[in-house]
Amino acid sequence: MKQFRTITWGYVAWLAALVIAPMLLILLYAFTVAGNDVVTTRFSLQNFYRFVSDPVFVEVLLRSLYIALITTVICIALGYPIAYVIAKLPEKSNVLMILLITMPTWINMLVRTYAWMGILQSGTVVNTILSWFGVGPVKMIHTSFAVILGMVYNFIPFMILQIHTSLAKMDKSLLEAASDLGASRAQAFLRVTLPLSLPGMISGITLVFLPAVSSFFIPKLLGGGQYVLVGNVIESQFLTAGDWNFGSAISLIMAIIIMLSMWLTRKVDVQPESGKE
Amino acid sequence: MQKKSVGSRIILALTLLFFYLPILYIIIFSFNDSRSLTTFTGFSMRWYEKMFADSSMMEAVIYTVVIAVIATVVSTIVGTLTAISLTQSKKVLQRLVERTNDLPVMNPEIVTAISLLMFFSALKISKGFGTLLVAHIMFCIPYVMLSVTPKLRSLDPHLTDAAMDLGATPMQAMWKVIVPQIRPGIISGALIAFTMSFDDFIISYFVTGNGVQNISILVYTMSKRVNPSINALSTLIIVLITLVLGIVNLVPIVREHSRGKGGKKMKKSTYAIIAAVLVAAIGAGIAFGGTADRSRREAAIEKYGSDTMKLYLPGEYLGENVIQDFENQYGVHVIVENFDSNEMMYAKLQAGDAYDVIIPSDYMIERLMKLDLLQQLDLSKIPNMELLSDAVKDLPFDPENQYAVPYFWGSVGLVYNHETVDPEDVESEGWEVLRDPKYAGRTYIYDSERDSFMMAFKALGYSMNTSNMDEINGAYEWLMEMNRTMSPTYVTDEVIDGMIGGNMDIAVVYSGDATVILDENEEMSFFMPEEGTNIWYDCMVVPKNAENPSLAHEFINYMLTYEAAYDNAETVGYTSPNAEVFEEMATNEDLYAENEAYVPRVGYEMDEAFTDNEVLKKTLSELWIKVKAPK
Repeated sequence: MKQFRTITWGYVAWLAALVIAPMLLILLYAFTVAGNDVVTTRFSLQNFYRFVSDPVFVEVLLRSLYIALITTVICIALGYPIAYVIAKLPEKSNVLMILLITMPTWINMLVRTYAWMGILQSGTVVNTILSWFGVGPVKMIHTSFAVILGMVYNFIPFMILQIHTSLAKMDKSLLEAASDLGASRAQAFLRVTLPLSLPGMISGITLVFLPAVSSFFIPKLLGGGQYVLVGNVIESQFLTAGDWNFGSAISLIMAIIIMLSMWLTRKVDVQPESGKE
Repeated sequence: MQKKSVGSRIILALTLLFFYLPILYIIIFSFNDSRSLTTFTGFSMRWYEKMFADSSMMEAVIYTVVIAVIATVVSTIVGTLTAISLTQSKKVLQRLVERTNDLPVMNPEIVTAISLLMFFSALKISKGFGTLLVAHIMFCIPYVMLSVTPKLRSLDPHLTDAAMDLGATPMQAMWKVIVPQIRPGIISGALIAFTMSFDDFIISYFVTGNGVQNISILVYTMSKRVNPSINALSTLIIVLITLVLGIVNLVPIVREHSRGKGGKKMKKSTYAIIAAVLVAAIGAGIAFGGTADRSRREAAIEKYGSDTMKLYLPGEYLGENVIQDFENQYGVHVIVENFDSNEMMYAKLQAGDAYDVIIPSDYMIERLMKLDLLQQLDLSKIPNMELLSDAVKDLPFDPENQYAVPYFWGSVGLVYNHETVDPEDVESEGWEVLRDPKYAGRTYIYDSERDSFMMAFKALGYSMNTSNMDEINGAYEWLMEMNRTMSPTYVTDEVIDGMIGGNMDIAVVYSGDATVILDENEEMSFFMPEEGTNIWYDCMVVPKNAENPSLAHEFINYMLTYEAAYDNAETVGYTSPNAEVFEEMATNEDLYAENEAYVPRVGYEMDEAFTDNEVLKKTLSELWIKVKAPK
């Protein structure tokens, strides 16, 4: 299949032009100071120092990673059973369910988040329901709960899709073989289904964790302006402060941390590959 | 295995409830009688009427759908082929491509967006549909590959060899053996790509131009107040999608009855594309109704050199019929583009994008003048300048009105609930009332470093344009103290809904927004502290690189007329620069006669406008994060 190589190299060229080249510009900004004018710039590590030396910024970064991690864990915990149940449905309702889950994501994220703002505002739906049980009213808007809820709502479809993909069309004879060999249903799940769905889960983690770390509209609206995450800091550097150098440096720091954590996650992925056959 | 347990049914039901609760909320609020997005006041179809009357909204729907469909098809094909061919490459290359693919997924969108903006500008590519499409394809491909690759990994590598041993060509091996095996991955990849493209704002904003806007750009640039028509628009999209899904799911069933089975999945996607194109075509029919007749356009070209001009202004900042009236009267076409903040506008200008008329704020105009980016206006072409009220003439940044023509103006003040807050407190304490422990936990602060530092500076008796480090630190301490003792809620546009709903007692609000709040909630009052406040002016300017300056002058002149200014003021609610309109709005009983927020304070010596100081701005921006962030 040598002819496919052309496609690969074509894509590498495309990546170089549209992803790598622009990234180099960001790199240039991160390591320089002074205006948005290339002529007056000079090399400096000041942008990085400004970030690392300030406990507030470090705290913001850690908070963002923490929120993203919790969001990812919840997305797996809720998304896996959902994907599992859907995968077991007959083919037609299977496709329909997947479409039903994806459809809300086609409504503008800001509009959906505004809807959550309304729902979480005290005195509405949720608190009315809670009051039936003698609980509340609970303040929900502008809390960590609201931010995580918003993120889970926004990103969980990707997790479900990815896990579902790896569960769908799984060779069912493998499960039969397992039970023939004396495995209980739990054992069959743990030893067969789960490892086979791992690659999908890791794609899902990529699709939830990465955007969750840098998201800024959800924390801003559901957490309030006081809920500062690293995405908000980067955004404000570019869009309000006009300090592209500092903004670039922060996103570079974030990128490196994320790359490291993704590299660790993917190490897990190697196991089923080698365990196969 | 096939029998459905009660447990799984409950899971499915709860899942759907979770996903559709906000959607239901959106649909309900699209029928809301008032502007509020949180309080339902009565049933009405007004937002639907407004939506269908707004051609820019309809155009945005079409651009969004067309871009999403093309980007999805292209990125799915390219992404799948690349993923397959990558399996034949060396491990190092595979890894490298995978990691690089993560970059657009991982980077904050703004980073990808800015870098693409610089990239396209460096290559001098004219921005619009083409650049938007390329950018969307670019960020969609990684999502497809991310979905397809795990499926490929679980594939037996010897399958292809077996197929080729049996005489299949590589193409056949791919289509007949590999693709069917990884189909679930391709489908979910396509779905994610579609979602990403459909919902993208920041990248789209920076790579588009020439009036091409998608729904997200429209929504996010409603910076001057969210227009509830967006709920109506979302409802329309839900209905359209449901229709498409209905067609996609029904047609194969019907066909199955007449024919037999076979390859129905592939057919389904074909139908999906056909249905989407149909919907786009219907939408296009709605959007592009009539166009100005030819002879008048030719006359306009004769007179101005071109019959088209580009206007760049904040979202939701135009009267309902202003643009249409101007177009009809002069036989021209106005391309309208919106920005979310002065800085977003500035970024695009710096990248070399050309506009004929821009409407930025005071300090930004000062910066543009410093950088020599603005044209001196030919005042003989703008006779209507004499209609301006004296309060907006000879502004500090443009003493002789040579560069900027006022469009809207106003101030910043306190809105408070006079039922729960003692007016005496507000009037005697001024900005300091925001640190009065009596009202702890009951205040909204406007989430912007400029406005917050402004009130701190004013409360301490400094100029809000100070560069004195001691004064800056004093203001910083003032705000830190406020954050510690009052735990205020930091909001932006949500302050309008929040105060109308009476959620808080005191809020820092722009006078134009205060006008709306006072109109809707009688318990609210407006006060401008005696320590002074920010008086702001948004003005029309013509950049040096304008392509049609003579039509730009005609447009500015038109916007100053009574009719246009009235329409603007009536729709937007901010204070008009036109003397006659201002007078009428301020004295008419049915309008704002009773509304103390509509008339900004004029000529008070403690009030100031912002001046441009980039260094100060960076400092304040960093300090502001430090004020808010500590938990």
